Amino acid sequence: MGRRLAETASRMPHDPANVARGRLNFENYRAGLSTIASIATALVAWHLLSTYVFNPFLIPPPLAVARAAIPMLLSGEIISDVAISMVRVLVGFITGSLVGVAMGVLLGRIRLLHDLLDPIIELLRYLSPTAMIPIAVIWFGIGELSKYFLIFWGTFFIVLINTIAGVWRAPIARQRAAECLGANRLQIFALVVVPSAVPYIVTGMRIAMASSFMSIIPAEILAADSGIGYLLQKSSMLLQTNRIFVALLTICILGFVVDRIFRLIVDRTLARYMAFVSQT
Amino acid sequence: MLQVNSVRKVYQAANDRYVALDGVNLDIADGEFLCLLGPSGCGKSTLLNILAGFESVSAGSVTSNGVAIRGAGRDRVMFFQDAGSALLPWLTVEENVRFALRVRKVPKPQWAGIIDQYLTMVDLGRHRGKFPAQLSGGMRQRLQIARALAVEPQVLLMDEPFAALDAFTRRRMHAVLLEIWQRTRKTIVFVTHDIAEAVVLADRIGVMSVGPNSNITKLIGVDLPRPRDLGDPAVAHIFNDIERLLAPDVMRAEERSASGAQVG
Repeated sequence: MGRRLAETASRMPHDPANVARGRLNFENYRAGLSTIASIATALVAWHLLSTYVFNPFLIPPPLAVARAAIPMLLSGEIISDVAISMVRVLVGFITGSLVGVAMGVLLGRIRLLHDLLDPIIELLRYLSPTAMIPIAVIWFGIGELSKYFLIFWGTFFIVLINTIAGVWRAPIARQRAAECLGANRLQIFALVVVPSAVPYIVTGMRIAMASSFMSIIPAEILAADSGIGYLLQKSSMLLQTNRIFVALLTICILGFVVDRIFRLIVDRTLARYMAFVSQT
Repeated sequence: MLQVNSVRKVYQAANDRYVALDGVNLDIADGEFLCLLGPSGCGKSTLLNILAGFESVSAGSVTSNGVAIRGAGRDRVMFFQDAGSALLPWLTVEENVRFALRVRKVPKPQWAGIIDQYLTMVDLGRHRGKFPAQLSGGMRQRLQIARALAVEPQVLLMDEPFAALDAFTRRRMHAVLLEIWQRTRKTIVFVTHDIAEAVVLADRIGVMSVGPNSNITKLIGVDLPRPRDLGDPAVAHIFNDIERLLAPDVMRAEERSASGAQVG
């Protein structure tokens, strides 16, 4: 709102509302300023607590973490760990989403299929990717395949359940209206029901993406020789708390950035499907 | 011509049985503007859904031009109150009409002309690039009209189409609909619980009794020139007659919904 007001004001230089322009500009940047203030406060608090309250070895101060991070960045060590973990997440996430959406639209549409498979899904979904690590290692070894499988496993159920919900919530009036206009069953399914489910599918994928970042870490801690999780594990063995903190911060930043990129892609490609019109 | 012969509609739940319609008879002539009027729970929407082919009858028959209605047909188009649901929100105004032409298999070279014709008719020509979310409630309903007319049905089935609009927009929509009706001579079956709306619009008003076992208790012809004004004594007279006729049913309907009974 603040941004729109500011834009309107700047387009009309003689508008009396422009007297308040300085204020409006502040409104414009308020979100950004408060984010910076929040992070700066956290850094200061972190520094004070780790230096004066707790043992700096257990909680290394921010500057020590930064000092540890620089050689890791320069040597490319952290970059390659990030890249390895990212590829694992993306392969598992994309395949899990594709299969989840495909099965979700079928189960959402074909009642019999849903009734047959739903009890199994309802039981299996409680097996988190972490719970599946031991068997995945036996099935697929400690290589890439077991990581793909674990991320796939976590993504699949979340996307599946959200897709089914989206298909069920496609407004009946929209389907009937299309039917009246002459659409056949396949057209109603492909041109009305599936597009109506897009907001639910995207929400499911966003949740699945966040959960993928959570599941890849234990998988790499327990059964890998590369990736951020492995970096955490190795640093812990060597009591390198500085490097542990670098890895933890990397996970935070990575998750945040990937979610932003995901939203940007959705905005660029699916924006028209995300529009929601309720009552007239 | 739509014909409804001794229609009965029973909803059967696990241990609950509700007779929504019982012994409904109605003939609707081509080009007629018929309103189905009654308080909530009188089964008027059920009857409209049966005419659309969305619901089946438990007994009796419904026919369109002598052919039994089984499912949606090319001759009939339903028009919904919640345009936001009925339209495709990811398509622009123009694309919504194009969607109708595509699923109706209208030859592609004709599309542009038809789209222009009907968007102009409902005065949405300047808004063809907008999405439904960017339109007002009245504009969305006009788009729904354009989309329905584009596939050239004989019959428009309208389920309380303007009930969610504000009073001014509703009056304007009445004028738009009457003008289109007079120009195209479609058959219109219009469900409403608003007596004034029925009296202003209809050739005939089918007054329905409150359920269970609803039927059409009275058919009232409104043989007055349009546009009609509720201040006109002849119009007011019919309005008052219907209000008196419905008064006991309105009270019953209220009591029923207050006691939590199922409303069909």
